[in-house]
Amino acid sequence: MEKLIHFTIDGISVEAKKGETILTVARKNDIYIPTMCYISKTTPCASCRMCVVEVKGVEGFVLSCNTPPVEGIEITTNTKELENERTNIMKLYDVNHPLECGVCDKSGECDHPLECGVCDKSGECDLQNKTLEFGVSQQNFSARDQARKIEHWGLINYDPSLCILCEKCVHVCNEVIGDDAIEVKFGGYSSTIIPKNSDTLDCTFCGECIAVCPVGALVSSDFKYSANAWELSRVPATCAHCSGGCSLEYETRHVGINGNASIYRVKNNFEFSSLCGAGRFGFDFDNHALRDEHAFLLAIKAIQSAKAIRFSSMITNEETHILQLLKEKLGIKLFNEDARVYQEFMKAYSSISGKKHHSGSLDAIKLSDAAIIIGSRIATDNPAVRYALTTAAKHNGAKVVYAHPIEDALIQNTVTQFMKYEVGTEEGVMALLANAILKDADLSQEERAFFDALDLGYLEAESNIGHEEISLMMHSFARAKNRVLIIGNDLIAHERALNIAKLSALIEKYSDFSLVIVPNEVNTLGVSLIADLDKDEDIIDVVGYNAKGNFIISSLKFANLAVASLNQQEGTFVSIDNRVLPTNVAVAFNGYTLNELASACGIVSQNSIDYTTKLNKNSGFKNIGFDFLENFLSPHGDDNRGYLLDEVTCKMNGAIESVEDLPEFNGTVIYHSNPVLQFNAYTNIAKQLEKDNALRGSAQFAAAAKISDGDRIEIQFGSKMIAREFKLDSTLKGTIALNPVFDDVVDASRYKFEKSKIMRVSHE
Amino acid sequence: MHNEQFNNRNVSESYFLVDIEDYPTDGWGRFKRVVKRTFRGELFVGLWVVLREMIKFDIHTIQYPQEKMPIGPRYRAVHEMKRLWESGTERCIGCGLCEKICISDCIRIDTKIDENSRKEVSEYSINLGRCIFCGYCAEVCPELAITHGGRYENASEQREHFVMFEDMLTPIDALKAGKQLEFEGFGAITPHEDERVKKTPLSY
Repeated sequence: MEKLIHFTIDGISVEAKKGETILTVARKNDIYIPTMCYISKTTPCASCRMCVVEVKGVEGFVLSCNTPPVEGIEITTNTKELENERTNIMKLYDVNHPLECGVCDKSGECDHPLECGVCDKSGECDLQNKTLEFGVSQQNFSARDQARKIEHWGLINYDPSLCILCEKCVHVCNEVIGDDAIEVKFGGYSSTIIPKNSDTLDCTFCGECIAVCPVGALVSSDFKYSANAWELSRVPATCAHCSGGCSLEYETRHVGINGNASIYRVKNNFEFSSLCGAGRFGFDFDNHALRDEHAFLLAIKAIQSAKAIRFSSMITNEETHILQLLKEKLGIKLFNEDARVYQEFMKAYSSISGKKHHSGSLDAIKLSDAAIIIGSRIATDNPAVRYALTTAAKHNGAKVVYAHPIEDALIQNTVTQFMKYEVGTEEGVMALLANAILKDADLSQEERAFFDALDLGYLEAESNIGHEEISLMMHSFARAKNRVLIIGNDLIAHERALNIAKLSALIEKYSDFSLVIVPNEVNTLGVSLIADLDKDEDIIDVVGYNAKGNFIISSLKFANLAVASLNQQEGTFVSIDNRVLPTNVAVAFNGYTLNELASACGIVSQNSIDYTTKLNKNSGFKNIGFDFLENFLSPHGDDNRGYLLDEVTCKMNGAIESVEDLPEFNGTVIYHSNPVLQFNAYTNIAKQLEKDNALRGSAQFAAAAKISDGDRIEIQFGSKMIAREFKLDSTLKGTIALNPVFDDVVDASRYKFEKSKIMRVSHE
Repeated sequence: MHNEQFNNRNVSESYFLVDIEDYPTDGWGRFKRVVKRTFRGELFVGLWVVLREMIKFDIHTIQYPQEKMPIGPRYRAVHEMKRLWESGTERCIGCGLCEKICISDCIRIDTKIDENSRKEVSEYSINLGRCIFCGYCAEVCPELAITHGGRYENASEQREHFVMFEDMLTPIDALKAGKQLEFEGFGAITPHEDERVKKTPLSY
């Protein structure tokens, strides 16, 4: 039991745990201390000095945001002197702050903007709110105003004259996101925020700085001045781009004078959670297609005569359930390779671990002090995991081991040890890791025999991971208390995935590592828990549901029947945390839904969400109706979104197999990996997101493939041939090039490394 | 001061009852009343008054629509959009408060960012068919941009004719000719405000 510190705030006796500050304790006990620069998910900026309190017996004021309490102190949060101090701070903030409230995007986020003075509903602009709260009606301070240029940084606009230098954006960018792209240029009154080591902002454009900005200094350039805060209606939802399951709110309004509702921007609860740029800026993937009765009839016919339905994992649990019902009723097959390999992986995992779900979560990563991430270019595959890792590294000093054949400049700041292995040798790497981690574990006889039989020399030589690297890792992990192993898609889609799964289960079972297995797409995890999937065959008479087929039902272009996109549907996803998360309709859809198709085929239900209670109980789904699922974080940051899947025990009937000979990938190898902010065909149609689908490689790769920057090339791998442009990328090293898959030319579920042949078509 | 005049609630002193004939109760009585009213000469009394005034040639009738009565500055007729005297730019900053406060929900405004990174009103519409001319929009406007004018004639073949921002905006030539009338009604700044305004510390 940890020792608690007892003290009083305003006469109320409170307790603090180790590591808590006066402010966090006050907030936990609903005692109000005003702040301008404090944000829960970072270390205190301590720039505003609004949070001052008085401590009995201590002269002067104490900053509550970064001062830990000591036993028995008596704190006062509200005296005349404090009030005066805070009011003066507010007055200083207001010096030369342009009186732009009338046009500012942050102004007046409440129902009655005209009553701001008497209204207690929180406004969007902290400065406006606090100025009114402290009744600052006249200005006793002055400074010579300066001409400050508005900066245009791509998706982000920065107006220095509105900036109050609270430094929230800098802290978030550095401590949570990990881009470390902005900094404060110190210079007294002429201080501003500037891009770090660059003329213009060069970052992943997560837009988190926009979210945390308490005033209108950092705003989305697309949203700026297009709508007022009070006109927008908020739709709480779940991001539909990756498996992170980030919460967000779509904000919608009519377009122009008489237009229909459209999404204007996306916001998130920045106090506790984060959102990447794809979620924030890639919101306009809704389908505007009209109702087409003829196509609907054709679709029914197509489904009834189909041999199989192929679908993608960009789908809700309810629709997956409908497809599963269709399969049972019509006796057809269901194809979804992405979810199938995940399902197989998890099955093998369960056969050793005895449970259905992996034990880790994003919160576990955030709280960890040691993490291994293997088989994923995580910064672009799943930004939520990257942010969690960054948080762990910056706040807990976590040691992060990044094992992958290609280095990633994006998480360079976070990673403490890069472990480069040869392409294809993932099984060997996992065996080596497991061998080191489970050295002293209480294994069963067969399992011990497996490790004894390992030819470490061979594995080390083939995978190119030296003995020293492993022992360095073990050494740095020695004092760690919360360890986590993160497994990426390269392992899940690997030829030897089943054995890798068993190895990861062993690590989880016999060590204190918690395990996170990163699902590839939005709802890969949900689909794998609900649908009974068949191995994909190249047959005709396949209906594609957001996937390839002879008859395509899709929310994208080129559909035989148009259906709603994920921001036009209600339903649930299962996130990487094994949490069932609800999402809602942001924009209305006029056409048909899968539920109507199924109803026409004899599986009748009023709404898709009627199936929420009927989801596979054997996989841990609960009997909770959609309308009873909450979607919010509490004021203290507790996650009240949806529900966690029940733990399901499985038979432990698996046995580990010996490691096979490790394959070799020689010649020009490409790695299917999306650029920043791109995930799938939906991000590909989002207006604001950059769509660079060039093959990116290092100078070394260019030399090996005999191509140069700007060449038009053809890439051949397997039986496929795709045309791309080649771009030199100075941040890359080695002989593996990155091939984007968001434009849907490659099935994203396959093993992402590919031996390829590259031919130059033309030189520019 | 004495309150007697207020306390005396006896109204009967200066009031008297009008001598009204009893209403007829039977059919014969009603018939007699009709005949009496029909053949009374009151019609000719009225005709005589008109003829007398006509012969005098001292007519006070306003020849509407050729002539119009001057209208008070507080009269709330069709809105006007004002321009800044110095630059001639529109005063409207697109804050949207008029849209928000409008109780008959007849104002819609669309804004965007212009090439100088300023907020620009791209569309502004008032549905005068719904407008109840309450004056809230003019009252809430922080820039004195939208005001009520004296143009009270709302007749047209189409209601759409009266909802254009451009129709309400002071024409630029009228502004240059110094013909923009400053609103003196509710919400307007008082005359000689310049002399009374307090100086701020920033006035150096």
